[in-house]
Amino acid sequence: MGQTIVYILISTVICVAYFTLVDHYLMDMQGLDYWYLFRK
Amino acid sequence: MGQVTGKKVFSIMALCVMVSLLLLPVVVSIPSLAIGADAPDAAKKDEAKVEKGRDVYYKTEGIVVGAPAPKTTDGPKDYPRYNFESRVLLWFANQQHLYYGSFVLAVPIFCMVIEFMGVVSKDKALSKRYDQLAYDFIKISLTAYSLTAILGGILIFTFLTLYPAFFGYLSSIFRPVMHIYALMFVAESGTLYIYYYGWDKMKEGFLKWIHLSMSVVLNVIGTLLMFLANSWIGFMMSPAGVDEQGRFLGNIWHVIHTALWNPLNVHRILGNMAFGGGVVAAYAAYKFLASKTEEDRAHYDWMGYIAMALGVAFLIPLPFAGYWLMREVYAYRQQMGITLMGGLLAWLFIIQATMIGILFLSTNYYLWQAMGRMRGAEKYQRYIKYLVFLLVCGFLVFITPHTIVMSPAELKAMGGQQHPVLGNYGVMSAKNGGINVIITTTVLSFVWYMRGNKVSTVSWAKFGNIFMGCFFFFAYVNIIWLAIYGYYIPANVRVGLSVPQVATTLSCLFFMFALNSVMMKGAKQMGPIEWGKISVRSQYALIMLATAFTWMMGLMGYIRSSVRLFWHVNEIMRDNSPWAYTHTVGFAANMISFNVLFFWISILFVFWLGSLTAKKAPVGEKAGVPGGAPQPAGSH
Repeated sequence: MGQTIVYILISTVICVAYFTLVDHYLMDMQGLDYWYLFRK
Repeated sequence: MGQVTGKKVFSIMALCVMVSLLLLPVVVSIPSLAIGADAPDAAKKDEAKVEKGRDVYYKTEGIVVGAPAPKTTDGPKDYPRYNFESRVLLWFANQQHLYYGSFVLAVPIFCMVIEFMGVVSKDKALSKRYDQLAYDFIKISLTAYSLTAILGGILIFTFLTLYPAFFGYLSSIFRPVMHIYALMFVAESGTLYIYYYGWDKMKEGFLKWIHLSMSVVLNVIGTLLMFLANSWIGFMMSPAGVDEQGRFLGNIWHVIHTALWNPLNVHRILGNMAFGGGVVAAYAAYKFLASKTEEDRAHYDWMGYIAMALGVAFLIPLPFAGYWLMREVYAYRQQMGITLMGGLLAWLFIIQATMIGILFLSTNYYLWQAMGRMRGAEKYQRYIKYLVFLLVCGFLVFITPHTIVMSPAELKAMGGQQHPVLGNYGVMSAKNGGINVIITTTVLSFVWYMRGNKVSTVSWAKFGNIFMGCFFFFAYVNIIWLAIYGYYIPANVRVGLSVPQVATTLSCLFFMFALNSVMMKGAKQMGPIEWGKISVRSQYALIMLATAFTWMMGLMGYIRSSVRLFWHVNEIMRDNSPWAYTHTVGFAANMISFNVLFFWISILFVFWLGSLTAKKAPVGEKAGVPGGAPQPAGSH
């Protein structure tokens, strides 16, 4: 059980980081700001 | 020994002939290029008589070498007619030629892929099965090929008879490449016949590689042919290489390479492949349903699966190619984009969304049914209801219109043209979310199917499974988050969100397929795939898939053509015939349905003709025994 939780945590960190990077850089490549709402 | 050498020499010669046929149009076009190169010098000598014009798209100056676009009038001179709407006749001839053209261009690409898989396969039995399958495919294509040529002839006669002024202008613009098109067609026919009839003679060793090379040449010719044909419709929608009067300025590359040419090329290649896969899958389904023996059922079940998988492999990127095409349309003329997606033709896009949804629902349904022929896949059955939920939610959002046609009383009762709740789903932000959820779910169904009867034996299998689950979960979260986020930011920022959404879906497709393949290497099999032991319903899903493809192709062709409104060539040559108006949605839908019906009836005839020659199978035996059949592709 403990191992499963560790695996879920590691996977979550990797996936969240990956998709955030995808969102940020692909918007940046178009000259757009992904964080627009949060900066306002 | 001598006979083998003779065969080799003959095969190499045949390949050389094909390559020469491929290069022939280029060689023939050299003199015309040379003439073009001399033209500026000649112009210098006679500068007083030279008239220059500005390219309507590239904005470059060029010497006028063509006549202006004719200004037509409504009458028998420019628009001769029978007692029938000429546009409908042309619509029919064009659509049928396109259906068959797409089919005969797509199927040889499948053949090439499947033949290659057969050649590189180390399993002899599997190799023979692939080879037989590729042969079955090309056999269907060959009969359809003759019909395509006949329909092409009918189309030209229809143009010449009903729209002579327009056709004369278009052929005058494309005159420098018309003969190349004709020669490419000759090269395509020659290559196809040598490829087909040489199958039995070149079935092993080095000769097989020569045969495979022929399929590459065949497909290069076919693709170039399609690119040339696309340049005509590209020119009609977004003309270039002519001045504002429609006079050709001497640069044929500008005429071909219009604003929409490349997106049209990509969209059509993918569309043709998806359509071709659908038609072959429907053929296999029909043969499956008509099979009398277990052996035949196993063979056609396998054939249907391969055709469906190939078709869907091209269906998945198709919406993204369509999105690119639409972006380019907007970039070319914003008004054209608005007419398409926000104006006169917007309701047709709602129908298109429905058809896309049906395609993906049918694909998923087939995959879930197909899991029934694997021992071990039962473990996924209880989760399918969640996939159905995701698909239905994505589908409903995808098909929700922004506004609804209503009576004044209904309008008043609802408090406006937009529904207070559902109206929110009618915008692009929600629709992008909807379609990406649908595609991601289809990818997930494929992953489940590929691991249906297997248990991974790699030491990190537990982590791999958890990671895969998390990746899909966060992909859904990201897609839905971006869709919601779009409501809170300005339109100029929102429009960019579609790119990370697409990247999220494609990440699932590429990374999870790769991860699954690594995890399933050397996996423990719970049991073989029992080909032929699949529900009859699944085969109807394949037929549904093919019919939906056909209908959608007809619809999209109509939309693309209608966006020119009252122009033969957008903003250059006006359509002054009595039929230069946009039909009602109902009429268009009936016309598309008629075209679909005609195509399916005629292709059934083609299938029947093909079955008459099915007395001899040139490579090995037919399908193996169900259960003992090798698995078809990759991990599957």
